[in-house]
Amino acid sequence: MTHKYIGKRIQRNEDPRLLTGQALFVDDVNIPGMLHAAFLRSDYAHARLKSIDVSAARERPGVVAVFTAEDMGADWKPGPPLVSPPPTVKDVTFFSRTQVPLVKDKVRHAGEAIAVVVAESRYIAEDAVEDIQVDLEPLEAVADLEKAMRPDSVRVHDDLDSNLAAHIVQVKGDYDKIRGEADLLIKRRIVIDRGAAAAMENRGIVANWDVKSQHLTVWDTTQAPIPIRNGLATRLGLSAHQVRVIAPFLGGGFGPKMMMFYPEEMLIPWLAIKLGRPVKWIEDRRENFYATTQERAQIHDVEMALTREGRILGIHDTFLHDTGAYDPYGLTIPLNTQSHMMSGYDVANFYSEIKVVFTNKIITTPIRGAGRPQGIYIAERLLDIAAKELGLDPIEIRKLNFIPPEAFPYEHKIIDQAFAPLILDSGNYRPVLEKAAVLIGYDQFVNEEQPRLRAEGRHIGIGIVSFIETTGVGPYEGARITVQTDGKINVATGVGTQGQGHFTSFAQVVAEQLGVAVKDVHLVTGDTAEFHWGTGTFASRGSVVAGNAINASAAGVRKKILKLASEVLKAPEDELELENGQVRVADIPQQSISLGELAALANPLRGAVEPGTEPGLEATAYFGPKYGAAAFGTHAMILEVDPETMMVEIKRYVVVEDCGTVLNPMILEGQIHGGVAMGIGNAYYEKLVYDDNAQLLNASLADYLIPTASEVPRIVIGHEETRSPLNPLGTKGVGEAGTIPVPALFAQALENALAEYNLEILETPLSPNRLFELIQDKEKSR
Amino acid sequence: MSNTVEVAFTVNNIQYVRNVEPRMLLSDFLRHELGLTGTHVGCEHGVCGACTVLFDGQSVRSCLMFAVQANGHEILTIEGLGTIDNLHPIQQSFIEAHGLQCGFCTPGIILTLVPFLESNPDPSEEEIRHAISGNICRCTGYQNIVEAVKLAAEKMSPNT
Amino acid sequence: MKIEGEYLFNGPRAELWEVIRDPEILATALPGTKSLDKVGENEYVGEMNVRVGPVGGLFSGRLTVSNEVPPESLTLSVEGKGSPGFLNGMGNVILDEQGEDKTLMKYEGDVQVGGKLASVGQRLLDTASKSTIRQGLEALDMALQARVAAKAEGKEVEYTPPSESEFVAGVAKDMARQALSSRTVWIVIGVVVIIAILVVYWISAGSGS
Repeated sequence: MTHKYIGKRIQRNEDPRLLTGQALFVDDVNIPGMLHAAFLRSDYAHARLKSIDVSAARERPGVVAVFTAEDMGADWKPGPPLVSPPPTVKDVTFFSRTQVPLVKDKVRHAGEAIAVVVAESRYIAEDAVEDIQVDLEPLEAVADLEKAMRPDSVRVHDDLDSNLAAHIVQVKGDYDKIRGEADLLIKRRIVIDRGAAAAMENRGIVANWDVKSQHLTVWDTTQAPIPIRNGLATRLGLSAHQVRVIAPFLGGGFGPKMMMFYPEEMLIPWLAIKLGRPVKWIEDRRENFYATTQERAQIHDVEMALTREGRILGIHDTFLHDTGAYDPYGLTIPLNTQSHMMSGYDVANFYSEIKVVFTNKIITTPIRGAGRPQGIYIAERLLDIAAKELGLDPIEIRKLNFIPPEAFPYEHKIIDQAFAPLILDSGNYRPVLEKAAVLIGYDQFVNEEQPRLRAEGRHIGIGIVSFIETTGVGPYEGARITVQTDGKINVATGVGTQGQGHFTSFAQVVAEQLGVAVKDVHLVTGDTAEFHWGTGTFASRGSVVAGNAINASAAGVRKKILKLASEVLKAPEDELELENGQVRVADIPQQSISLGELAALANPLRGAVEPGTEPGLEATAYFGPKYGAAAFGTHAMILEVDPETMMVEIKRYVVVEDCGTVLNPMILEGQIHGGVAMGIGNAYYEKLVYDDNAQLLNASLADYLIPTASEVPRIVIGHEETRSPLNPLGTKGVGEAGTIPVPALFAQALENALAEYNLEILETPLSPNRLFELIQDKEKSR
Repeated sequence: MSNTVEVAFTVNNIQYVRNVEPRMLLSDFLRHELGLTGTHVGCEHGVCGACTVLFDGQSVRSCLMFAVQANGHEILTIEGLGTIDNLHPIQQSFIEAHGLQCGFCTPGIILTLVPFLESNPDPSEEEIRHAISGNICRCTGYQNIVEAVKLAAEKMSPNT
Repeated sequence: MKIEGEYLFNGPRAELWEVIRDPEILATALPGTKSLDKVGENEYVGEMNVRVGPVGGLFSGRLTVSNEVPPESLTLSVEGKGSPGFLNGMGNVILDEQGEDKTLMKYEGDVQVGGKLASVGQRLLDTASKSTIRQGLEALDMALQARVAAKAEGKEVEYTPPSESEFVAGVAKDMARQALSSRTVWIVIGVVVIIAILVVYWISAGSGS
């Protein structure tokens, strides 16, 4: 099928505004009479709130109000749990404890909000925060996952018997049975530590309550405006139609902006109503490290059973997952880890036990990858270790274990984070891996370049890893498309946009159906007044779910266009063409009508509308996939390590991606570039460092190191395309693909570069310091 | 108003006279007093570069300056560089090369590039990466930004 | 954060013991201290201005003395908090006579820091704390010497404690010295100087012929 617009590198509709300072971000919202909020946050990670005296703060000139949990009275309520455990898995233990608007009895993580000051300016509000006298009785804090699970550990939630937040076991086949038959058992402990999303735009909320029209408008840096609108309406005792949530342009999301009902999200709208004036709160960067969610810490005790040829017989894993002080997001992240531990390999036996643990750290919710990188890290590390022991090449052992193309759809029999059975819908893995090997020059490097460079004393290594990514999960998204009388097309959909180009890629889908120019398709995303059914932008689902809803809706409009045009042009529908904004009779171009004129005819001021029809050229459609489409990719990299500084230079980086039908290759490549850059950060530069008191020691961009243009290499991208059978566009998600395999890739490449030390890297993130330590430890143990 | 100081300076070729508190940051002044919200604030500690503006032709971090320091000086923000109908070649190049995704860091990067390209009209990739190494982008991985700069250099070269 | 070190005082141990148990002298030894009041046999409360790089503010806290073995050793516990964060520490101090008129103080302890001090001041904490301690001990030493001299002459003690600005300047100097103490920095400076000399030489050589 040849496409005219889909699959083309079309420049983005939204760029001119973004490039000239004409795009609205939340902090740009300015309403007359607007007040500014600032929060008093706890320095202690675990403390009892004994007393709080805000009188001095209230007296400061310019301060309009100061609120504590007490002052909220009956309106004080913890946030709603966002994700419950999967209903079809047996014997699940789950204790739901969610974040609170302001601390009432005790502080459970450093940075938790204790009081809020609302003043004429943010400067005055911050001054007033320092006026507040708070008496916190410090308690022992628990930061370490294993310590938190000890019976004598201090408890984050006093009403629970321990710090266990959830427990779930999933099983496929019978690992214990095959264990005895295995030729090789690789048993390791793998430790993964925390990182932040650190979008360039911090969070923010502006709320405006118009008392005369009884209407609340909220601008929020959220990836999920519709659920926020519905939840706020419920919490505030309003009707859903009284609440409008707008997610305008967002400076990056990456996951934490998908977390809902943050304390500030619960408070700011409430304050606007209470005070009768618009209220703005903008997070500053230091706050972002404490008040916005983080991710990733897990400790795995895992074993892989293999035959001596290198075939995986099974995987057995028990792990601890750090949820921080609360667990609003349920089991999403650890279930993703579980689902990806088998990656794209044919594994018949699997046992995975998850224990989710409360600690006195900031809440954990999905960040790009959302638990998948951890699972892939385990699968790839164990295979690398097995390959070494069996004398196999890393590429060979992977090819040996890939699910063959004829085995799709492949059922893994466990439940994934979307509550559906984990089924990999389609794929053809070998060509992707082989293409990556060719693009990186694998054979030539291993056989010629590397030995030559090593002889010169250089520490240069290569890595190649593969991964799957479950994407495009339900429940659904929707879209409404309308042809305007000026010929332009309006599209409204519920998902928000944080830079991934929806305004253009979705327009391409519409253009394809309706024969208009992409720049004539005007999209609104993330405004509940325009469209209020849907969930949000997460889990690499935008193009799959919203894209397909838009496709279906556009198809609906196309049908109406053809029906009406057929009457107007007096020609049968199958002789009509849609091109350049016109409907034409094929071979008789003079017999045509513009879409705009047709739209006007469809909405008559006189005459009668036929019963059973609708006015205008408009259609609304929804799409919900049966289950998520599984994309696949391979990353390969050549890097050099400076043995004195442990600084790394990436010489070559290759990504081969199979995400089904590609809507806009330019946007796709941008997503991969950005994903890899984030993956490089996650693998080698970024780590959130907590001390034993659960104090965050690097809460600034000076000490939390995000890769710059000097650290990120050129990335060569290759494509394969295995269309997904799960949706009409045949597309799979790709938003997180760049990030997922990078830590595993770094581990393999670093071991290879430093082969003389025979390192076995079982942790992530690394850093120059840590690599140095690992080498020192290895040398000492000789 | 507690203690305010009168400042007068030019922003995007327009003269402004205002009373400001000495502690007001230049970034806050530009964004909230003058409504020029194209300059974005990413960290307020001088690391991310999103707040970069031109100060007498030099790129500076407006989050590390006070509005009073701008008294008597000339400032250029992204709004002064080009408009939707009249884009600067750098802005046009960013569109063509897909050099932005969320767009939050972009104004700061572009204003870093203006003096850079003036003194380096034909930069190598390494020079470009070094020039923007003080601007953090979380979306693009920098590759297409580098392409955009090369394209801009071509567009701005006197030979074209 | 572990803190340990030693300092040689110019005075007899018994006198030094008196000095460190005197809250008025302690209050002046650490400029930035706004007040230090005895509230119990071995308890003091006080207020102090703390600054570590960009982070600073007023701290209020409690100092407790325990395990006293005069004039040999004691344990100091500190609990302080303020807008820059909080600080809890415990340290053991041992005084060793070194002849008749010198005393070696050995100290070791552990400090836990939280809030802005910990999250933003981390990279400076080590240097700042060492500098603070060193300057405080120097001031105590001066106080000790003034006291000994006054006693010898039967006079009132004349002693001017260092001012807060002198103190802050001292910490800043130490942090700069720390930066410049790195060998790499000096090597870089040396290379730059050599290159500059060579460039000047080549330019002048070129213009000569």
